[in-house]
Amino acid sequence: MTEITTEIEDSVEDTRLPRRLKEEVYGTIEDREVTPKEASEIAAAVESRYLDTRIDPLDPVGTVSAQSIGEPGTQMTMNTFHYAGVAEIDVTQGLPRLIELVDARKTPDTPMMTVHLEDEYAEDREKAHEVVWSIEATKILALGDISTNVADMLVRVDLNEGTLAERWPTAEDTEEVAIEIADIIEDSLGVSTARDGMAIEFGPEEPSYRDLFRLVEELRDVTFKGIEDVNRVVIRKEQLAPGREEFVLYTEGSAFGDALEIEGVDASRTTCNNIHEIYRVLGVEAARETIIEETMNTLEEQGLDDVNVRHLMLVADIMTNDGTIQSIGRHGISGSKDSVLARAAFEVTVNHLLDAAINGEIDDLNGVTENVIVGKPIKLGTGDVDLRMGAARREDQASEGDGEEARAD
Amino acid sequence: MVDVSQHNLVPEHSVLDNGGVEAVLEDYGVDRTDLPKITRRDPALPDEAEVGDVIEIRRDSRTADNALVYRLVVDS
Repeated sequence: MTEITTEIEDSVEDTRLPRRLKEEVYGTIEDREVTPKEASEIAAAVESRYLDTRIDPLDPVGTVSAQSIGEPGTQMTMNTFHYAGVAEIDVTQGLPRLIELVDARKTPDTPMMTVHLEDEYAEDREKAHEVVWSIEATKILALGDISTNVADMLVRVDLNEGTLAERWPTAEDTEEVAIEIADIIEDSLGVSTARDGMAIEFGPEEPSYRDLFRLVEELRDVTFKGIEDVNRVVIRKEQLAPGREEFVLYTEGSAFGDALEIEGVDASRTTCNNIHEIYRVLGVEAARETIIEETMNTLEEQGLDDVNVRHLMLVADIMTNDGTIQSIGRHGISGSKDSVLARAAFEVTVNHLLDAAINGEIDDLNGVTENVIVGKPIKLGTGDVDLRMGAARREDQASEGDGEEARAD
Repeated sequence: MVDVSQHNLVPEHSVLDNGGVEAVLEDYGVDRTDLPKITRRDPALPDEAEVGDVIEIRRDSRTADNALVYRLVVDS
């Protein structure tokens, strides 16, 4: 109800608040009856509260983050599989997923992609299906029946015309598709094929039962269309903004780089839950963003959304600090600490001590763990602040009592 | 190839000139090598960036408005 006058604006802009908080202050003032004087008091109060809540120098932020993520971790499900979130797609959730993220596993247990579509594809179910078929891996069993003719040493594939027309919506006629399929069989199995309409026949060069059955086995694994790593695609209509519905695809299995190249895929919004794939395709900053997003979603899914996102940001920052993705743990961050004692205290004690002895390593005793081991005060918080007195001035001002001269170092 | 910089997850990367680098290092009180790193082959790196350059990244922060962070380009 209050209009934001220049006077109010001045008093808010004068504070050291970040933009986001300033906007919130404006919003609150606008909603109520506030005089300019009260507005400036509000701004001052918010500012002092903001400065109060900032982290103090020497605060052990890492330890606080570790506990803030670790405690909710104890309340998470141990169940790996859970059909939550997305329609019928298995996604690893809870603690196993969190562990997988901080361990920076090369491939997650259940890789998946969320594929957003470009405008015309997103609104039309037919067009969206075109994209589905170019992503989902099509194997021979989906296209027709395989039979083996042992007498003539032949494998016979009877293609289903309806399926071909459905899966190759852009092709002129199914005959062409059948030729294409025959070609793929020739290329990938190294045999020559004979085609008659929708039937394709081929056999081993020399009559041999073993080769015949081997061909059938190999044929089952050939990908005729789509991306090999994507087993299944689920299509869902979602309301992303009021009055704007669009089709979104969820895939079981992921191949992020390949998916972005497909026509109709919106390469600016499509994401994937494999942080290494994101790193390879989009770089380290995107990987950091994905780590935060994925850990936060994992916690939220379990109703633990009151974990402050700053803790997760710190974890992601540390994991991507050296320009690649490092795991938390022996093979990553903890294993690359400077201090021998800190590494030895973590895991595989003897190996670290032995290697350090062989290489003549020196421990500067700067960290927490090593100082606990040797029983020195830890250089954190008040442990790293000394009181000093300016010796020169003490002489002349001894009588006045110069408490001010003590300074934090 | 897709244009990586168009993706929502990729913040704006730009090469910082020498004056800018000095100011940043002065401000934080650190050496160039203390900065977080970014590898030379990072897909989001601007084309003109070379090893030893400092990249300014303008993140859309969750907690503040925009966050400026810096990464040093390193080999490998």
